[in-house]
Amino acid sequence: MPMPKGFKSSHGYATNKAFEGGEDYRSIAEKMTSNGYKMNHATARNIFLSALVKIARPVHHFHGVPSQEDNVKKTARDPRFQSGVAEILSSLK
Amino acid sequence: MKNASSLQSFFKSVGKTALLTRDEEIELSKRIEKGDSAARDRMIRANIRLAISIAKKYSDKGCSMEDLVQESSMGLIKAVDRFDYRKGFKFSTYACWWIKQAVRQHIASQSGSIKLPSYAKNTLWKMKKIKEEYEEEFGVPPSPKEVAELLGTSVATLNSLIKCSATFVNLDASAYKNDDGKRTVHETLVDNSIETVDSEIDRERLIDIIRSALSDLTPREEAVLRLRFGISEPDLEMAISKEEK
Repeated sequence: MPMPKGFKSSHGYATNKAFEGGEDYRSIAEKMTSNGYKMNHATARNIFLSALVKIARPVHHFHGVPSQEDNVKKTARDPRFQSGVAEILSSLK
Repeated sequence: MKNASSLQSFFKSVGKTALLTRDEEIELSKRIEKGDSAARDRMIRANIRLAISIAKKYSDKGCSMEDLVQESSMGLIKAVDRFDYRKGFKFSTYACWWIKQAVRQHIASQSGSIKLPSYAKNTLWKMKKIKEEYEEEFGVPPSPKEVAELLGTSVATLNSLIKCSATFVNLDASAYKNDDGKRTVHETLVDNSIETVDSEIDRERLIDIIRSALSDLTPREEAVLRLRFGISEPDLEMAISKEEK
């Protein structure tokens, strides 16, 4: 039997439960849709991850870490990175 | 000073005694069995250097050298009385176990504010050895569960043994020898809660980088991020209308 394929995160997976008051992708999609921007849960997730990739890229440059797309995406998905971004974002406004 | 000089003269006098050959060891052992006390004395004197060398290895365990030499000599005497030449081993091979056992038992009875039974001290000793060997072989320290399994005990037992064996340190004592008490132990402790200047600057720069990256996000992306992170409800209509412009 072949080994199962796929990506296994070393530091767990980020969920909305990790953030107090954080919403799941379906709720986010519903809220955005009701405000005139039609999207489904998958689009909400894609927007969320692409935003995090935009933030992760300069962080990679700063630390001198290779910033290939795969590496940056891995950082963006990392729950530790996400909680750091959430902390900074909440201190902004 | 007097103790040190008497110990030195003892070491010198011991060095003058000739070591035994294998045949001499057997010959003396035979005589000891018959109750020859002179042969017993000769055997002890000839091997006292072995006892001293083992005692020296434990000199950093907080006991005085005189006591360690005395205890190791007691171990040597026990070994002389129990040595069986018929088994074919050299006396030193047999004696070093008795000497080590005597010295370790003495150290165990002297060290620590909580008196532990000797089996507990032995377990701690074995644990230290296992950790060293494991790290040497695999390059990483073993987990508490692995150590407990190798020792045939539970993690809880090991943890309580470690707690009991903790030694007290006087924070007001001089940190270094020959320092005349200028720097105390508590002055040399590292405060890990305080960040170094370098790491603080790095952190500030990193925050600035993330802030500028956040400002580059489209209002739609920022709205989704905020909803996901549960940070203050964004003005979605405003965000969307801005983007449509």
